[in-house]
Amino acid sequence: MAEKVVNLRCMMCGHEYSEKIEEGVDEERSCPKCRSNSIRVLKQPKKD
Amino acid sequence: MTYSEVDEVEGYIGNFTVKIRKKARYVDPNLCNACGECAKVCPVIMPDEYQMGLGSRKAVYIPFPQAVPSVYVMNMEDCLGNQPIACGKCFEVCDQQAINYDDTDLIVTREVGAVIVAIGLDVYDPTELDEYGYTRFENVITSMEFERLICAGGPTGGHFVRPGDHQRPKRIGFIQCVGSRNPKVGRPYCSNICCMNTIKDTLLLADHYPDVENTVFYQDIRAFGKSFEDMFQRSKEAGTRYVRGLPGDIEEDPKTGNLIITAENTTTGKLERHEFEMVVLSVGVIPPKDRDKLSSLFTLSKTSDGFFMESHPKLKPIDAPTRGVYFAGFCEAPKDIKDSVCQAGMAASRVGALLNAGKVKIEAITCRIDEEACTKCGVCAKVCPYGAIVWEKGQVATVIEAACAGCGNCGAACQFGAITMRHFTDDQLTAQVRAILHEDPQEKVFVFACNWCSYSGGDMAGIGRMAYPSTNRVVRTMCSARVSEEMVLEAFRCGAPVVLVSGCHYADCHYINANRQTVRRVQRLWDKLEKAGVRPERLQLEWISAAEGQKFARVMKQMEELRQTVTADEIKHGMEALKPKPKKARKKKEEEVAAPAT
Repeated sequence: MAEKVVNLRCMMCGHEYSEKIEEGVDEERSCPKCRSNSIRVLKQPKKD
Repeated sequence: MTYSEVDEVEGYIGNFTVKIRKKARYVDPNLCNACGECAKVCPVIMPDEYQMGLGSRKAVYIPFPQAVPSVYVMNMEDCLGNQPIACGKCFEVCDQQAINYDDTDLIVTREVGAVIVAIGLDVYDPTELDEYGYTRFENVITSMEFERLICAGGPTGGHFVRPGDHQRPKRIGFIQCVGSRNPKVGRPYCSNICCMNTIKDTLLLADHYPDVENTVFYQDIRAFGKSFEDMFQRSKEAGTRYVRGLPGDIEEDPKTGNLIITAENTTTGKLERHEFEMVVLSVGVIPPKDRDKLSSLFTLSKTSDGFFMESHPKLKPIDAPTRGVYFAGFCEAPKDIKDSVCQAGMAASRVGALLNAGKVKIEAITCRIDEEACTKCGVCAKVCPYGAIVWEKGQVATVIEAACAGCGNCGAACQFGAITMRHFTDDQLTAQVRAILHEDPQEKVFVFACNWCSYSGGDMAGIGRMAYPSTNRVVRTMCSARVSEEMVLEAFRCGAPVVLVSGCHYADCHYINANRQTVRRVQRLWDKLEKAGVRPERLQLEWISAAEGQKFARVMKQMEELRQTVTADEIKHGMEALKPKPKKARKKKEEEVAAPAT
């Protein structure tokens, strides 16, 4: 399965990080810093 | 129906339609008398899967001695060919004329009221653990291979010999937890059966060959069943030595083929060096390969270990989340024969009770579709984890109430208010939101909590007398997926400084995977809030299990701290910015209604 890198932001502590995910695989996320589950997937900037 | 696979499943509790593929045997089971003449003349020799590759079989064979029916089957992938017939020897010698090269798979349809899933297990393959040299040293075998070697029906006729030189080994080492309790290889769970299997093997060896010296390397011996401790003691009395500590690696003496193990005995704290003539890797068990197919056929969910998840670990350990489907044996979790037999008996009695009743009782929290309001978009059917909503393009959706579990996911997904969740209607939940935030909303932490986990986590925090701020106000829903975007927005419109949506952890979701929709909704809400100029951090998402009272308390403290950072201006701005904008279509409709009849 194809892997892609997503940028994530913890909505509790503001920590931003990247994670490799397999496309189509939905996994529980938690912030590596504060363990919060409020992890927002940041949109990739559009390619010109 | 043996040598068959389930291809398709439709329907719901009491009314399943199952399509079963009866695989082509190429041997007519009604004619075959298992004389074995076909196998005798078959020129193909393949490794025998049942004998773990330690023996051989022909292309036409009986898969294992206890096969039912006891008739031959031809593996067409191994056969020299039937299009055109390349050999045909089996056909020539079969007096019964049972060989049929033109046999094809047959699809059989059956109407059934309930389904028992009992697809068993697979065994961990230790090839990735290079330190144990399973692929390098002939005399390192797995516990499954040991079973075949010591079995009277095995490839050596029960004469226990080591594969390297076919001599009987006199010093045997057993290594426990190979592929179990090992997060490094993605198998953190205990396989449950390996300790007792090894103890049984040592007793078997001591009984057959009293001169054999056995040594078992282990982390913990888990002998917790009836008479298991007695067996463990008997094994020790029979001379088996138990060393607490797992070896780091295995070396081979190239001259003798013996295996040298160095391990720290954690009981004495000393490094020990042992030489064995054979090493047995006590391999763990893994979920069966076919589970993904069945998982999608019956909408079953899996635990983080990959085994099927039961409806409730304590109260419904036999039931799948999909009603009318039951588990028996290993597919649900590692368990020994006795537990598997117990579970199978329970599953059979559950099915018996269901079928004898002839009708099912459902909880009064199922969904109802308003046919007039339904726009036939089909979103509800797509998000239903149970497949309880039937929809075809251009048709109004309908609910199979016997299959609906009442998670409310469809109600939250429907943008047109066409779905009513009994006892958890939009109006009821919105009224709760408004009532809670009617007075001093700026001083409240607003929480949506799912019934099964988060709400119970709050109970656990209370029972444990864990201190947390008293500012939270909780609205209970059956599942976090019942919380619609509109409900969250309404809370902000009513002046809530912060909102928490909380539910079960992914692996614990009581509605198969409904909480994945919660995540998608919260993601969309963060985007919406940001677009409206509202700080998205004011909306939080947490997974809190029923046992996580401490987490509940911690999250409430964090939410309170967050609340204190929200200013009155922010709240006011949010209340204004999130006001619903009149939709064009709705506006037009309103104008039509307002226009005088001509």
